[in-house]
Amino acid sequence: MAEARTRWTTTLLWGVAVAILYWALFHFQDDIVRLAHTTVDACLVVENGKELYYHKPTPETCAAKGGTLIKGNWLNVLVPIIAAFVLSYVHGAFTSMFWDTLGLKAANKKK
Amino acid sequence: MELIQFIDIDLTGALLLILIGFIGGMVSGFIGSGGAFVLTPAMMTLGAPGIVAVASNICHKFPKALVGAIKRHKYGQVDVKLGLVMGVFAELGMLYGKQVMTSIKDRFGAVGTDLYVSVIFVIVLAIVGGFVYRDYRILKSHPHGEEHRLTRLARWVQSVHIPGTMVYFPGAKAKISVLFVAPMGFATGMLASTIAVGGFIGVPAMIYIFGVPALMASATELVIAFIMGLGGTLFYGLEGMVDLRLAMLILLGSLFGIQIGAIGTTYVKDYQVKLTMAVIMITVLFSRLFYIPGYLSQLGLIEPLPASTVKTLKMAGDGVLALALVLGAVTVLTALIRGMAEHRRQHEALSENQGIAE
Repeated sequence: MAEARTRWTTTLLWGVAVAILYWALFHFQDDIVRLAHTTVDACLVVENGKELYYHKPTPETCAAKGGTLIKGNWLNVLVPIIAAFVLSYVHGAFTSMFWDTLGLKAANKKK
Repeated sequence: MELIQFIDIDLTGALLLILIGFIGGMVSGFIGSGGAFVLTPAMMTLGAPGIVAVASNICHKFPKALVGAIKRHKYGQVDVKLGLVMGVFAELGMLYGKQVMTSIKDRFGAVGTDLYVSVIFVIVLAIVGGFVYRDYRILKSHPHGEEHRLTRLARWVQSVHIPGTMVYFPGAKAKISVLFVAPMGFATGMLASTIAVGGFIGVPAMIYIFGVPALMASATELVIAFIMGLGGTLFYGLEGMVDLRLAMLILLGSLFGIQIGAIGTTYVKDYQVKLTMAVIMITVLFSRLFYIPGYLSQLGLIEPLPASTVKTLKMAGDGVLALALVLGAVTVLTALIRGMAEHRRQHEALSENQGIAE
């Protein structure tokens, strides 16, 4: 009984960690999208309140669109790589515990 | 200058992506290969440009591949040396494939990549789906299968000795020239950079050309998938094409689904898995096929189609993809529920018999 409770508590804690990470991902989604687009030089154009990113612009083409030229930073590429590792690890651990806790198991022997 | 748009993701969109990831994960766990052949078209159907869908899919896959490779290495199923050697060449293939994709984007825009990805999907799924269906028929008529036997091609490849290029691969239990490994690795990476699934080349190549047992080939493929996935995320990320939100929402559903799928396979016969795989592949093929005329029309490669025709074709493509997803989910869940019920009945009957015997 105590063992089952510990298992549920651990699963729940990992679940909370997953929830926090996904909340952060969506709370900062505009920044994440901006970082992705500005890994390369980009031209930010706001149309009807919506941010549009044109890649690899020249100052002239960007000015023609009335946009803001943003210099790219290649280091932004580390964001998806690190985030993918962290989320995959935390969420992977959680789902594994989740199904174990629910008692979903493989058959001992293949039919 | 080219407009690259990531899709808007509201709550409904997020839930849909999680559901798609979940079904893709189930299919992936069930058939033992990456579910990307379902996920890339699904992302495109939701409006992601082909290049963004492929890049984001590659990003969601590589950490999963690493975890899988480590797990299966513990069971002694991974030929690390073969995985690393093929992985290096796959990385080159990934880089070259990414160059091809970005050249198409630069020349024809995002819709050019939609067309390129769709055409490659149709061709690859037709070939692989056909082979899988053939395997299904063989397995159904010989349910116990055959022991791992070297193909004639693998025997020949292992017999060729090219000085200075020979490497011993434990998985094949033989020395194989790197000159054979290199093109297979390169092609695997190139395909992965195009549709986010490289295993369609890598796994059969290891089995039929190098003589590696199927179980070891699928485990070794995870090493290759990790290497080229990490590289692919880097290469496509440097082009600003990785939509992390898309990748992580798919991952959220996929990690739940993959375990259900993997457990589901332990309750069904091998030929049922093959049939499921073939049916889903052919269904996804048709979903992409419906989009191609619209892309050709947009690019001006054919006479412009009326908007209503493009819309109808798109709806047909969406419908067929939805059918593929439902088909995949129903097949896996039915197999799992039926299998577990039968397993429980057998277990109870065994317990009763033991009780009587005592």
